[in-house]
Amino acid sequence: MSAPATALATAAEPAGFFSLLAPGGKRVLFALTAVAVCLLFAFPVFWLVLTSLRPASGVYYVHRGTEFTLDNFNEVLSHELVLKALFNSFAISTLATVLSLGVTATSGYMLSRFRGPIPNAWFSLIYVFRCVPYVAWVLPLYFVTQQLRIFDTYWGLLLPHVAVHICFFSWIMKGFFDGIDPSMEYAAMIDGCTRWGAFLRVALPSAVPGLTALAILCWLFTWNEFLFALILTAHETPILTVVMAQFVHELGMEWNLMSATAVIALVPALIVTLFGQKYVLRGLRV
Amino acid sequence: MAEVALINVQKSYGHVPAVRDITLEIKDREFVVLVGPSGCGKSTTLRMIAGLEEISAGRILIGGRVVNHLAPRDRDIAMVFQNYALYQHMSVRDNLAFGLRNRKVPESEIDAAIARAARILSIEPLLDRRPRQLSGGQQQRVALGRCIVRNPKVFLFDEPLSNLDAQLRAQMRLELKELRQRVQTTSVFVTHDQVEAMTLGDRIVVMKDGVVQQVGTPLELYRKPANRFVASFIGSPSMNFMMLNVAAADGRFSLTGEDFRFEIPAAAAPSLGPRVGGSVCVGMRPQHIRLGKPAGDHQIGFTGTLLVTEQLGDEQLLAVRVGKSEIRIAGVDPDLTLASGTQIEAAVSTDNLHFFDGA
Repeated sequence: MSAPATALATAAEPAGFFSLLAPGGKRVLFALTAVAVCLLFAFPVFWLVLTSLRPASGVYYVHRGTEFTLDNFNEVLSHELVLKALFNSFAISTLATVLSLGVTATSGYMLSRFRGPIPNAWFSLIYVFRCVPYVAWVLPLYFVTQQLRIFDTYWGLLLPHVAVHICFFSWIMKGFFDGIDPSMEYAAMIDGCTRWGAFLRVALPSAVPGLTALAILCWLFTWNEFLFALILTAHETPILTVVMAQFVHELGMEWNLMSATAVIALVPALIVTLFGQKYVLRGLRV
Repeated sequence: MAEVALINVQKSYGHVPAVRDITLEIKDREFVVLVGPSGCGKSTTLRMIAGLEEISAGRILIGGRVVNHLAPRDRDIAMVFQNYALYQHMSVRDNLAFGLRNRKVPESEIDAAIARAARILSIEPLLDRRPRQLSGGQQQRVALGRCIVRNPKVFLFDEPLSNLDAQLRAQMRLELKELRQRVQTTSVFVTHDQVEAMTLGDRIVVMKDGVVQQVGTPLELYRKPANRFVASFIGSPSMNFMMLNVAAADGRFSLTGEDFRFEIPAAAAPSLGPRVGGSVCVGMRPQHIRLGKPAGDHQIGFTGTLLVTEQLGDEQLLAVRVGKSEIRIAGVDPDLTLASGTQIEAAVSTDNLHFFDGA
C-alpha cells in the first residue's frame, strides 16, 4: 500500500538537486560557489603580489618565507627601459582608444542606420577580417610595417591595434546604436541639423554609456596585448608587456622583478576597471 | 502658415510600391488626417512631406515652393513622432530650445518662445527635468512644445497618441483639439484610429495599399463613403454588409438574399438601376437598424437569429445571423433581455442603405 503512495509523493515534487536543500540552502550554496570562483581568479594575483614583495632568494619559497621587501619595485622603477615602456604602453593604449572610438562609432552607426552597397561591403569586410584568427595577422603585419617603414614606431603598433578594434568593436557599437531610437535623429534633422549634425549632437551623446564601456574595453585590450607588441616593436618602442617577459632570459629568471613589473602594470588597469565597471555593465546591457 | 500640395506623388522601395500616385491639396490652417490600416502608406506620405523619405515621382509643395530636393531642416516644418523622440540627454528646456538655437535665434527670443509654449501646454514645472523623468503624456506635451516654439509653416504628426493608454489618449485628443484653437497652423496628422481621425480632422484622407480611397470631411465620409473599404473603416461598430441580387419589377427593385427578399421603391435608390440582373453589396450602419417591423414603405425589414448580445450600459450591441451574413445592431435598449437563439425582427430606412460594388 505504502509503496505507490511514496512514488506518487516523489513524482509530485520537483526532483531537482536544489529541492533536497534546506530552505535558504540554495542561497548558501550560491554564495559558496561565488566565493570559490572568486578565490580561483584572485589566487594568481595574490601569488603575483606576494612574489613581487619577496627578495630574489625567496621567490621559490613564497609560501614559507617571512622576509618581505620593496626593493624589487625600487629596482624595476630605476630601469629606464621599464619607465619608457610604461609610458609607451600608456600612450599607445590611450591613442589607440581615441582613434578606435572615432572610427568604430562612425562605422557602428553606419552599420546600424544605413543600407546599400557601401555599408554591405564594409560589413562583409569586417566580417571576413573577424573570421581570420588574430594570430594569423601578426606575420603579414610584420612585413607590412617593415614595408611602410613604421616598424618599431607608435604608428606601427597603433594602426594594427585600431584595425583589430574596428573589426571587433564595430559590431558592439552597431548594437548600441540599434538600441537608440532613430526618430530622435529625424527630429534633430527637422530641428535644423544635417545628417552629420544629427549623428554628432543627438545619436553620439545618447550612446555615451556604450562609448564609455567600449573605451574601457579598448584601453584594457591594448594595455594587456602581448603578441602584436612582441612582433611589431623592438628597442625603439619598448612596450610594458614585452619588457615584462624579458626578465626571463638566458642568465635566469628574475621572477621577483617580473612580478614587481606586473604589479605596476596591474595598477592602471585596476583603476580603469574599478572606475569603469559600472559603465561597462550599463553599456553592455543596452 | 502655408498650404501643402502633393501632386502625383509616388514612392516605391525597389519594385514594391508604397504610395501610388497621391494628389492632395491641404489649405492654409487646415487640419488634415491621413488614416488607414498599417502598411497603407500614410506614414510614408507624411515622411515624404517632412523630407525624411525621398519621393520616387511627383512634386510636393509647401507654401507654394517645390520642396522635393530640400533637406528636412530647410522645409520649415515641425514633427511629432509616435515615441516622442525627445533628446534624452537634454533637459526639457534644451529640447525646446534645440531647434531655435540651430537657427541662431537670440537667447532672449528663445526664452520668450519657451515661456509661451510652456504656458500653453502647462509644462512650466517640467522645464528642468530630463525626458526620462516624465510620464508618457508629459513627454507628448514636450514634443508638442518643441513644435510650437519653432512656429513653423506646417505641423506633422506621426501617430502621436498611439503610445498612450486609452484614457490618456482621449484626454490628449481633447488637448490637441484645444491646442488647435490657440495655435492655428496647417497640420497633417497620421493615425490608424478612425476615432482620432473623425474627431480631429477638418478633412480626412482614407488610404489603403498606397492608394487614396476618399478625401472628405468626417461627416461626408460617414454619410457617403465612396467604397466598401471606407464604409467599413469609418464608424464603430463597423458597417454591416450583405451581398444581394438585384431585380426590377413594377417600379421597384427587389434585392434577394439566401432566404429573404427586400423591395425598395426605385426612386429611393436610383444607383441600383445599372445593377439590375447582377449583385450588389448593401451596407447598413449598426446605429441605423431598429428592432421591430418596418413602418411604412421607406423602411425594409428582415428577420434573423440572435447570436450574442454585448451590454455597454447605455446601449446593447446585438449580433444577429441573417441568412449567411452576421448583422450587428447598435443602440438597443439596455434593459431589454434577449436570449441567444431568439428570432429578431429589425428594420432600416432605405435612406440609410449604402450600395457598393463587388464582394
